[in-house]
Amino acid sequence: METTLSASNEAPSVIAITMRGVNKWYGSYHALRDINLSVRHGERIVLCGPSGSGKSTLIRCINRLEEHQEGDIVVDGIEITDNTRNIDSVRSEVGMVFQNFNLFPHLTILENCVLAPTLVRRVTRKEAEETALHFLEKVRIPEQAHKFPGQLSGGQQQRVAIARALCMQPRIMLFDEPTSALDPEMIKEVLDTMIELANEGTTMVCVTHEMGFAQAVADRVIFMDRGEIVEEGPPKTFFNNPQSERTRSFLGKILGH
Amino acid sequence: MTVITSQIRPNAKAGGAREWLRKSFFGNWFDACLSIVLLFISLKLGWSFLQWALLNAVWTPNAPELCGAGGACWSVISTRWRLIFFGLYPADEQWRAALACLIIVAAVVMTCIPRFFTLKGILMIWGVSFPSFLLLMGGGYFGLSPVPTERWSGLPLTLYIYASTILLGMPSAILIALGRRSPYPAIRIILGLVVDLVRSLPLLTILFSFSLVIPLFLPAQLTFDKVYRVIIGFTLFFACYQSEVIRGGLQSVASGQEEAARALGLNYFQRMGHVVLPQALRNTMPMTINQFVVTFKDTSFIVVVGLFELLAAAKSAYGVPEWSAYSKEVYVFIALIYFVFSYSMSKYGKYLELKMKASSAR
Ligand SMILES: Nc1ncnc2c1ncn2[C@@H]1O[C@H](COP(=O)(O)OP(=O)(O)O)[C@@H](O)[C@H]1O
Ligand SMILES: [Mg+2]
Repeated sequence: METTLSASNEAPSVIAITMRGVNKWYGSYHALRDINLSVRHGERIVLCGPSGSGKSTLIRCINRLEEHQEGDIVVDGIEITDNTRNIDSVRSEVGMVFQNFNLFPHLTILENCVLAPTLVRRVTRKEAEETALHFLEKVRIPEQAHKFPGQLSGGQQQRVAIARALCMQPRIMLFDEPTSALDPEMIKEVLDTMIELANEGTTMVCVTHEMGFAQAVADRVIFMDRGEIVEEGPPKTFFNNPQSERTRSFLGKILGH
Repeated sequence: MTVITSQIRPNAKAGGAREWLRKSFFGNWFDACLSIVLLFISLKLGWSFLQWALLNAVWTPNAPELCGAGGACWSVISTRWRLIFFGLYPADEQWRAALACLIIVAAVVMTCIPRFFTLKGILMIWGVSFPSFLLLMGGGYFGLSPVPTERWSGLPLTLYIYASTILLGMPSAILIALGRRSPYPAIRIILGLVVDLVRSLPLLTILFSFSLVIPLFLPAQLTFDKVYRVIIGFTLFFACYQSEVIRGGLQSVASGQEEAARALGLNYFQRMGHVVLPQALRNTMPMTINQFVVTFKDTSFIVVVGLFELLAAAKSAYGVPEWSAYSKEVYVFIALIYFVFSYSMSKYGKYLELKMKASSAR
């Protein structure tokens, strides 16, 4: 509790994620350099940057899919350490959506959504199914609950993955390039779902190159390059008046086509 | 897409088979001659076997004097089939042994029904059938007279050792395969060494060490029945091979699967039990069934350590003067029993493989 308070001047109930002086190495490769970041509850963050700049590494440190070596990460008042109990409780509060969906192919759509709530939250099967159907409806996957992931299109699979994460009723949602593996015609259906979530006030940290999405919903855009945060700001200033040369060159490339 | 393939395939197949036959057997005059000679030889052999096995065979029980006229003497089977199947098991109680065998076979068949493929299903089936088998064979309760394991023999003994090996071996194989991905290097290295050691030894050496050598070094109070020592040796052998199969299956599961499970907050056992292992086991089902078939055939090795299993019982069936000339018949009969078990298992494996291909192409 003490660490949380000292991590920020604001009350812990307001702060969702704090990263202070975070460094991470893969072997000798320095993947994250002195990352300082604070995300308030209800805030929508878009993280962008060239490929290999450490965006995935950064958000994967938030739910300990990757281990950081230096610095503190506090998520929803819980410090991320080796303590497996802490990690488990952080993971059940943080939903994650992956580039490749990672739905469980041997389970139906409904079973995909029911698995974690029944195992981790220990809610009854009936209750879990009700929640699952509620969220499947919300991501507009009608009548597909008893199909297997392989029978759905990429866009549908990604929306199921979002519903699966939401079924744990997480306080924070992480997205790692959720539309990068999708055909262009399916990108919009996934982005629409995400915009809807954003408009409901879900705390989101989203790695994406969809700058339209960033302009529409982000409270802050963060630009990363070579493992460090180069620049951050509200979308208006970020896009219209970028400070750093690296940001300008990145935006030139990404908005160019 | 599907329309096109389904239109082309049947024609291509029918034409293809004839074409293939013509090309591979009658491509030039030398091939044609060779094919005709081989065809002639196999027809001749087939006909002689048919004459021996059926046309000139003697079936009457208790009539060794009728045999010897060039046909098979199946009377050795019709006279001594009880000895072959049940060996030394008390004659009045052999219905128990027969029923016990039927229970095991029924349990195997039920396990093969995809609806029971869950852990719960398998535990239920074997949790009921295996104790029933032991109760029927061993007796001592419900008015069944006790029969010590030394008298268990023939087919029930073979099935007992086989079922125990699989039931103990599968969980061990899973644990070994998981252990070899442990974050602790000591566990990984030790398990790796054990698996490699066992896999580089012939089964016979392992059976001999477990049944004969190890008891020499153990204090008398610690030695237990030979059947159990053989089961332990067999289980070790099976588990080491099967763990490699499962390890391959674990590697075939995309790393994103475990990551997604982890991100949802599932702990290690939940991730393995609900996400990774079901996929790994499903992916390796055909290989696993192959391993089951091989292990079944390997049970015939038990004869060398002096247990009275199916093969040993068969030997004793022709081990009396009046039948001693008819070992051929007994071995053909035993081969048939092994064939029925092994062939139906591998056919089932093939069926599963096709079914899996169909569902992954979905
Ligand atoms: N498991 C890993 N082992 C070694 N290097 C890695 C690993 N994961 C990522 N990296 C390296 O770390 C850098 C940042 O990767 P990543 O965070 O995936 O970048 P981004 O998501 O911004 O494209 C890359 O150079 C990548 O090669
Ligand atoms: Mg990435």
